[in-house]
Amino acid sequence: MSLPRSNYDPRRVCLSPFPNWTLGKHKRTMGIYLAGGLFALANWTFLDAAILSAHAHSPYGEPQVPPPVHVSFVDWVPGISSLLGMLVVNLIDKDRVRGDEGFGDARAVWRARLILFIGFALMAGGLAGSVVVLVLKYVLQDYPEQYQYYGYANVSQNVALMLSSVVLWMSQSVSSEYEYNLSI
Amino acid sequence: MAHAGLKTVILLSFVLAVGFLMIILSCALWSNWLPLLVALIFVLAPLPNALFAHCGGDDLTADYEGSGPVDLGRFLTSFVVVTGFALPLVLAHSEIIRPGACAMSIIGGSLVYGTILAYSAAFRQEESDFD
Repeated sequence: MSLPRSNYDPRRVCLSPFPNWTLGKHKRTMGIYLAGGLFALANWTFLDAAILSAHAHSPYGEPQVPPPVHVSFVDWVPGISSLLGMLVVNLIDKDRVRGDEGFGDARAVWRARLILFIGFALMAGGLAGSVVVLVLKYVLQDYPEQYQYYGYANVSQNVALMLSSVVLWMSQSVSSEYEYNLSI
Repeated sequence: MAHAGLKTVILLSFVLAVGFLMIILSCALWSNWLPLLVALIFVLAPLPNALFAHCGGDDLTADYEGSGPVDLGRFLTSFVVVTGFALPLVLAHSEIIRPGACAMSIIGGSLVYGTILAYSAAFRQEESDFD
């Protein structure tokens, strides 16, 4: 029985290939600015729906009918889940996840990967939850398009949060080679 | 740059005054003082970058980018800037403020923020001339 090769362990399900791009440091700065902008855009898209719902009009053409649906706490849950997931994913030390030789013990790497998985699951759960809210609360109830906007805003909030997290991750792992060369 | 400094300062202060004038007009014309928040946000926008810029490392590695606090400062800065642009749009979308007030406060806010950016760029140039 042969031992697995050191650079490839077949017991690992999720390989985390870190792209080792060595772009300029300005790309990193721009990426972080872009991530912050996307983050703000995501939250303001949803807050726009919430504020619009708080100041909601009755449907167009029927001034007597009250608005049939409001943004309630259910709409906030996917966004909160995505936010928590983003926080978890970006708080993890990326060298731990990569699990290089001589970086702590193996148990720490295992735990870091578990927590990273929980973070990604929270983000994916937020995205899926926003789609669920859109379909169950808004689309299936045949509300006018004025109110379905709340659901679409929720989905776009979660998509933008995920994009922001991806951009932040990529731009932070861009110049790791550069860091190594400097710090050693 | 020393002789051009005075003209730059006068021009920038003029632009800053115009920016604040736009924001205050957007509040006062419709007697709804919510757009004043935009001025506050844009004035606070460079604060995270300024605070976290000195956490980036010592003098030996001045242009060594890659520390967490600097990244956090940049993230927060762009978050605040986008918030400054998004707040009047959201308020106008919910018909809390008029579209005119929204446009005026956005123009005024970007003038204020552009002034702050140009000012810090000018100061940095003068410092590098000294070195």
